[in-house]
Amino acid sequence: MPAVKEFVTPLKPTWCPGCGNFGMWEALKRALSELDWQKNEFSVVWGIGCHGNGADFLDVQGMHALHGRAVPPATALRLTRPDLKVIVEMGDGDGYGIGLGHFVHALRRNPDLTIIAHDNQIYGLTTGQASPTTEHLMPTVSTPTGVLEQPVNPIGLALAQDATFVARGFAGDIPHLTELYKQALTHKGLAIVDVMQPCVTWNHLNTFQWFRERVYKLEESGWDTSDRAAAFNLSMTTFHDLTCTPEQCKIPIGVFYKREGVPTYEDRVAASAEPGFKRAEQPRDVSAILAGLG
Amino acid sequence: MPQPAPYGREVRIRIGGPAGFGIKAAGQTLARVFARAGYHTFDLTEYPSLIKGGHNTYHLRVSEDEIFSHVMPTDILVALDAPTIALHLGELTSGGAIVFDPHDVAADAIELAGRDDICLVPVPLTDIVYEVGGIKIMRNVVALGAVLGHLEFPLDGLVDSLRHQFAHKAPEIAEQNVAAATRGHVEAANAHCDFPFRLAPRGSVEPFVLADGNEAVGVGALAAGLGFYAAYPMTPASSLLSFMAKHADASSVVVKHTEDEIAAMNMVVGAAFGGTRAMCATSGGGFSLMVEALGFAGVSESAVVVGLFTRPGPATGLPTWTEQSDLRFAIHAAQGEFPRVVLAPGDQTDAFELGWKAFNLADQLQTPVIVLGDTYLSDNRQTQPAFDTAAVTIDRGQLQTTGEVEEYARYRVTDSGVSPRVVPGVVGAQQIVNSYEHDEHGWGAPGEERANRIAQSEKRARKFELAKTLVPKPVEFGPHEAAVSVILFGTTKMPTLEAAKWLAAEGVTVNVLQLVTVWPFPADAVHEFLERSKRSIVIEQNATGQLEGLIREHTLREVGHRLNRTDGRPISPEQVYAFVHDILGRHVELTAAGAIATSEGGR
Ligand SMILES: Cc1ncc(C[n+]2csc(CCOP(=O)(O)OP(=O)(O)O)c2C)c(N)n1
Ligand code: SF4
Repeated sequence: MPAVKEFVTPLKPTWCPGCGNFGMWEALKRALSELDWQKNEFSVVWGIGCHGNGADFLDVQGMHALHGRAVPPATALRLTRPDLKVIVEMGDGDGYGIGLGHFVHALRRNPDLTIIAHDNQIYGLTTGQASPTTEHLMPTVSTPTGVLEQPVNPIGLALAQDATFVARGFAGDIPHLTELYKQALTHKGLAIVDVMQPCVTWNHLNTFQWFRERVYKLEESGWDTSDRAAAFNLSMTTFHDLTCTPEQCKIPIGVFYKREGVPTYEDRVAASAEPGFKRAEQPRDVSAILAGLG
Repeated sequence: MPQPAPYGREVRIRIGGPAGFGIKAAGQTLARVFARAGYHTFDLTEYPSLIKGGHNTYHLRVSEDEIFSHVMPTDILVALDAPTIALHLGELTSGGAIVFDPHDVAADAIELAGRDDICLVPVPLTDIVYEVGGIKIMRNVVALGAVLGHLEFPLDGLVDSLRHQFAHKAPEIAEQNVAAATRGHVEAANAHCDFPFRLAPRGSVEPFVLADGNEAVGVGALAAGLGFYAAYPMTPASSLLSFMAKHADASSVVVKHTEDEIAAMNMVVGAAFGGTRAMCATSGGGFSLMVEALGFAGVSESAVVVGLFTRPGPATGLPTWTEQSDLRFAIHAAQGEFPRVVLAPGDQTDAFELGWKAFNLADQLQTPVIVLGDTYLSDNRQTQPAFDTAAVTIDRGQLQTTGEVEEYARYRVTDSGVSPRVVPGVVGAQQIVNSYEHDEHGWGAPGEERANRIAQSEKRARKFELAKTLVPKPVEFGPHEAAVSVILFGTTKMPTLEAAKWLAAEGVTVNVLQLVTVWPFPADAVHEFLERSKRSIVIEQNATGQLEGLIREHTLREVGHRLNRTDGRPISPEQVYAFVHDILGRHVELTAAGAIATSEGGR
């Protein structure tokens, strides 16, 4: 079993002291260690944002891709390298803003990927602009009079698109998050874990304290993870507004919904059964194709 | 002034009508019949961006001699509707024929058009279709039979072709088509036209390929061991996606029609990271969306191949027509600086060869390789000698896919600029492939240090120097010393070589320098070629003279003359022919039917 510290690079994390990314980083290392994932068995693909800077701190074989574009390369890696498990780390601006299309299309495909969203409801790295999950009417530097749009509902979106594993985590509860990750990482099919990740520098509304007062654990409430319609209804309850009190808006964390046994995208693509690099070991015989062109 | 080819050795057939009439499919069947009978063929499909309606044509050139391109004149015009006659009457050569349905257009209407040198072949296309129990779309098959009948060419090749084509359908469908073709054959013979052209099957047939450029690139990519292909449909690249999808299972290629071109290009980078040979292809609009990820491929040193099959732009432009106006875009696209290779096939044989070589270059250099084509290449078929598949080699550069490594650093600074590459899954291959500038391990934060930045950007730049030694060299055609010297890239090769053949027959020597690799720019070869040319022309299909500008920029030399075209139609050999005469001081009058008159002097 690789020790947690084996997943640490020599670089010291550059996140702001107290940032929610630390908790997510810690939970992921613990999950990988507890699941006994060797470093050559998986890859991680990051988008761009504060979350993405984690590429420097997790000692893995991975890619730090473009802003919003972690999902496509991860999908292709998964399809061409069935011998590797693949994890995506994305931000809310990254994955639900500029990369929203890729997210939805990934849900349609159900590749065997784990997507971890660092949902801090703000753009951290570009210094505090509104993100697609920023609360309705919350002022930010790019929306001084408040965000006019409704936030994106990642859980609802994933459920609407029939994702096979949908969960929400909280960066302030590392043991709980570790367990969620372990379930997601071992799920066969697309697993999405949307993690409430307080940005202590730019988001002064959705703070650790704010979440601590509101979160409750689904598994403790006896939640039935097989009821998709109930899960969808539950996802709608978390569209809270700026002024809601802890009593008015409770935020469930845990697994909303999961379904096993659904064929993955790669199950349906015969060609993805062996590592793609093997195809180029010698020239391919194209005589049959040429015969059709003669 | 001769016609482009002597009568009797060559026939040009044009089929015209509204989109949705199966014009291209019918024409391609005919091309195959002639190719199998030992002829060289070249076809040009022209169509507006409409699925039904509009005017489509398929122009087929059939020749005993080696041919390089389309030509302007038509000897047999198959008019599936009346407007076809009005639009193309001017292209008909003297003695030419029109195959038409008297229900669509009255014979005297054609006579009224003022050509008394044309032979009419009325064939009741629609009546025949219904007589044989077929459906309206089969009119084209009757017409094919009629074309062969008119040429007194045996029908059996077409019959074989039709039976093969409809083999997967109910047997009566194939037989209805055969009956339709047979009736057309008889009707045409009854027309008693005194037609000067006669074609007969030519006996032994050399192995050949009848492919369009996209198919040729596709076969090359498959031969090279392609493992992943991603694309979003865009004309004229779409047919490569269909080609790949068709062969995906048998060739074990993962083929993905993605949500957009952004995903396609990013996926290709992901697949390449895993060690798989990966390609995407698109046209200029899609390439615009891919550009950011092209930069990602550049900085991450990903071995990817991108097909850029251009159409006239900007933006959505002329979707179904041809142009070479994305040359500068291909060379310069993306933020910052990184080495890349841009290859420009001039015909289908080039397309096959560059199609597989692109992957070796991408692997050797670990950087994007762009295959730059255009609609003229993508859409048109030409008989080519069998592709040289025995020449295909796989060179994966410095790539390790199994085993273990120690102290691995993905971006190790090396003298060549190429760092040994180890795919994920190999024990010890800890690495971040990064879109940020990075250090040797791929970590982003240390990449901001000045020394790291300099080391990494110089490392990448050294690969460009290496690229210059690896890329295909320019190819020269014609005599070493010539009256006129042409420099070109891509598909203008085809009409230029055709015109050079006609000019050679008149004693006018032309040599041609084809820039097979346009980037890195082959400055030395171009300079040397210009040094020894008496009169130089740059031929390219764009308005601003992009190649001309590159020549000036890289050789500090001017090219004497420029031939450009921007109406979306391919440069024709007649145009090149007339242009060469023009700069030699002779005037050539061009009509739609081709070059017809020259006079000395008077430029
Ligand atoms: C195409 C593109 N547009 C904009 C940016 C600039 N940019 C970098 S990070 C970021 C947003 C970060 O927000 P989020 O994804 O929520 O991540 P966080 O920093 O909060 O973790 C933006 C807009 C970019 N890198 N690329
Ligand atoms: S800006 Fe916010 S998200 Fe980024 S590191 Fe600082 S606290 Fe974390």
